[in-house]
Amino acid sequence: MKKLLSGNEAIARGAYEAGVTFASAYPGTPSTEILETVAREYPEIYAEWSPNEKVALEVAMGAAFTGARAMASMKHVGVNVAADPLMTLSYTGICGGLVLITADDPQLYSSQNEQDNRNYAKFAKIPMLEPSDSQEAKDFVVRGFDISEQFDTPVMVRSVTRVSHARTPVELKERKAAPMEVQIRKDPPKYVMLPVYGRKRHVVVEERFLKLKEFAETFELNRMEMNDPEIGIITSGISYQYAKEVFPNASYLKLGMVWPLPDKMLREFRSKVKKLYVIEELDPFIEEYLKILGIQVDLGKDVLPRCGELTPSIVKEKVTGEPEKLFLSNPENIPPRPPNMCPGCPHRGMFYTIKKLKLYAAGDIGCYTLGALPPLTSLDTCVCMGASIGHAMGMSKALGDEGRGKFVAVIGDSTFMHSGMTGLADVAYNKSYATVIIADNRITAMTGAQEHPATGYTVRGEPTHAVDFAELGKALGFKNIVKANPYDLEAYEKILKEEVEKDEPSLIVNQGPCALLKRALPKPKKPYFVDTDTCIGCKKCVGLGCPAISWNAEVGTTAEGKKRKGYATIEPTLCNGCGLCYQVCSVEAIKTEDKVFFGLVENL
Amino acid sequence: MSTFRTPYNLIIAGVGGQGNVLISQLIARAFIKKGFQAIVGETYGVSQRGGSVMSHVRLTKTGEIAPIIPPGKGDFVLGLEPMETLRILKMFGNPDIHAMTNVRPIAPLDVIIGTLSYPSLDGILKAIQTLSSQAWTLDASAIALEMGNALLTNMVMVGAMIGTKILPLTMGDFIDILRTHTNKKNLEDNVQALQKGSEAVKN
Repeated sequence: MKKLLSGNEAIARGAYEAGVTFASAYPGTPSTEILETVAREYPEIYAEWSPNEKVALEVAMGAAFTGARAMASMKHVGVNVAADPLMTLSYTGICGGLVLITADDPQLYSSQNEQDNRNYAKFAKIPMLEPSDSQEAKDFVVRGFDISEQFDTPVMVRSVTRVSHARTPVELKERKAAPMEVQIRKDPPKYVMLPVYGRKRHVVVEERFLKLKEFAETFELNRMEMNDPEIGIITSGISYQYAKEVFPNASYLKLGMVWPLPDKMLREFRSKVKKLYVIEELDPFIEEYLKILGIQVDLGKDVLPRCGELTPSIVKEKVTGEPEKLFLSNPENIPPRPPNMCPGCPHRGMFYTIKKLKLYAAGDIGCYTLGALPPLTSLDTCVCMGASIGHAMGMSKALGDEGRGKFVAVIGDSTFMHSGMTGLADVAYNKSYATVIIADNRITAMTGAQEHPATGYTVRGEPTHAVDFAELGKALGFKNIVKANPYDLEAYEKILKEEVEKDEPSLIVNQGPCALLKRALPKPKKPYFVDTDTCIGCKKCVGLGCPAISWNAEVGTTAEGKKRKGYATIEPTLCNGCGLCYQVCSVEAIKTEDKVFFGLVENL
Repeated sequence: MSTFRTPYNLIIAGVGGQGNVLISQLIARAFIKKGFQAIVGETYGVSQRGGSVMSHVRLTKTGEIAPIIPPGKGDFVLGLEPMETLRILKMFGNPDIHAMTNVRPIAPLDVIIGTLSYPSLDGILKAIQTLSSQAWTLDASAIALEMGNALLTNMVMVGAMIGTKILPLTMGDFIDILRTHTNKKNLEDNVQALQKGSEAVKN
């Protein structure tokens, strides 16, 4: 029987069936569930959360150099981090098969950009396969390992959010052992990229590329579906599904391998159809190649958008010029529903304080990026993993003494392990006065609770060493290191004020675990409640943006007869008793039956 | 049930954290067991932090279908929150669509902080009636809370959906799937919640 698998689960299954024994990754939407599935379902495979994608690819290389089959998976922007090893891995080649999964995010559902990683295959001169559903995701991973070993090359498999997060039926097969023996293999001219060896390996790369081009001509995953010859569509990946839904009777050249492209096959297909359409998401990757070959394209990016993901309706509307008709316009005005920090989130108190002190906050990537949104609106940059520290460092040098006391860097614990350490070394080494806050919530939270080197647990939940941020800061040259409870607003404000004023760098390590991290929160606290007779409607608690607090606009009076425009209430099923609202309330209208302490756990 | 044609497009609408993604998978598995091809497309991303979430379950007799339902092409909306149900109907509604919604509102950020107000529940429910060929509303949250567990809300909703007999899916089909996906203790509660949901639409 077939099993309903997400694209990510299917990729993990493909690794299992291909005899993979090593899998590494750094979490990132939409790729995270690949390694989670490997760790949960396939004990035969060693699995690790690596500190970042560069390390994930390097450790996979090390495994592959022994002859083992290895898979590294990451989101599209993670490949930027891994690009350094990738470009030269193309030169060394592999030994045991190596497949690099890139999960792209057209439409930026959960990313800082929507770069098209097909360009990496071209840049690195390596093959890339592109599945269009879960069955193909599994099959292409298995096939990718064969190609990797046949041509001594890393192979990229590109998914997108709509493949990774869609569930379609998949036929499962048995696991086969990887073909190569695992052992130490010395071969410096192949694996030591000194210039003298690298020059020779570049020649190998170019020769391999020509062989791969020949291979692409007869590769079974590049297939022509000849139907009505009036319209021929060249497409790949998820775009194939969209095109097929809109034009079920057209002829297709479905490319399972999007790099290198099969010149002869492209020409042959062109000769068989009257009009040629190229339907692809994001960049005109295939279309530009066709133009280089001098093949006439009748429809492509002249009408299809370069930004955002495609959908069947966008394809239909752009190609036929007929928009889908919507049933009725909406009579009610529907407020938007953006994501928000959870009730009891440890980041809320930090952002409340940053806002209160009117600090500029160089930001980073994680749940705390939501601090940029109203009502806290207190995060000012977000570019890539680790950049917050660099931003603050650069600002301190550009502003000089003028900037002192005016800004901080905010970075999460997982992001800090990923790319923060080198930036932090720079701050101390080059004598900045910047203050860096590690918003340590003890987990990679935004992607759904993944471990990292400072949590004390591996991907399979085994206890392990946990990096100590304060000790690390000391080793990197920081003298001012403060552990701070972000729920204790008065104390936190005092610490932040003091540290940003110093003419030496400071490191503040927040102490509150993620409000969803069950293992750190043993005893649930009783919810706070609003004494609605006392509430004067000052809206201070509402300004925290806590999902448990609601504003009730109802003009009236307090029990003492003071006029008010409304009052706040706390939803007891959402409140977990963090105590922030209790502290900001100006009239002691917020109360609890529980012991009062600031945070979800005592003595932070 | 005689009007059931494929591809059939079912949308589950809700708020991050409501368990939307899980029930879409269970429904899809139940249909696969009945011999359908089912594919599920999910839109969540950062929305697991309280944003809008929708799952698209598409049922076909053969494959070759995209994991996204085109605008205006919904056949059934199962809404776990009234405003989200309406949001989906606005995008995917058509004169033949069926809609079912839980009536318990969850306030979005702008409503919490008082910059926007939640539309009147009556207004939302009327709009849902207007924008669909047939609509069912029920307080699934209240039914679940009466049973002592708010987490049963989704089971009440699924039970109600099955109870409409619009889809070719029986209570038995769904319980079969639950059996392989929940432990025994939870199974009893879930089955009871399904039945309460089913009864709620009969009345």
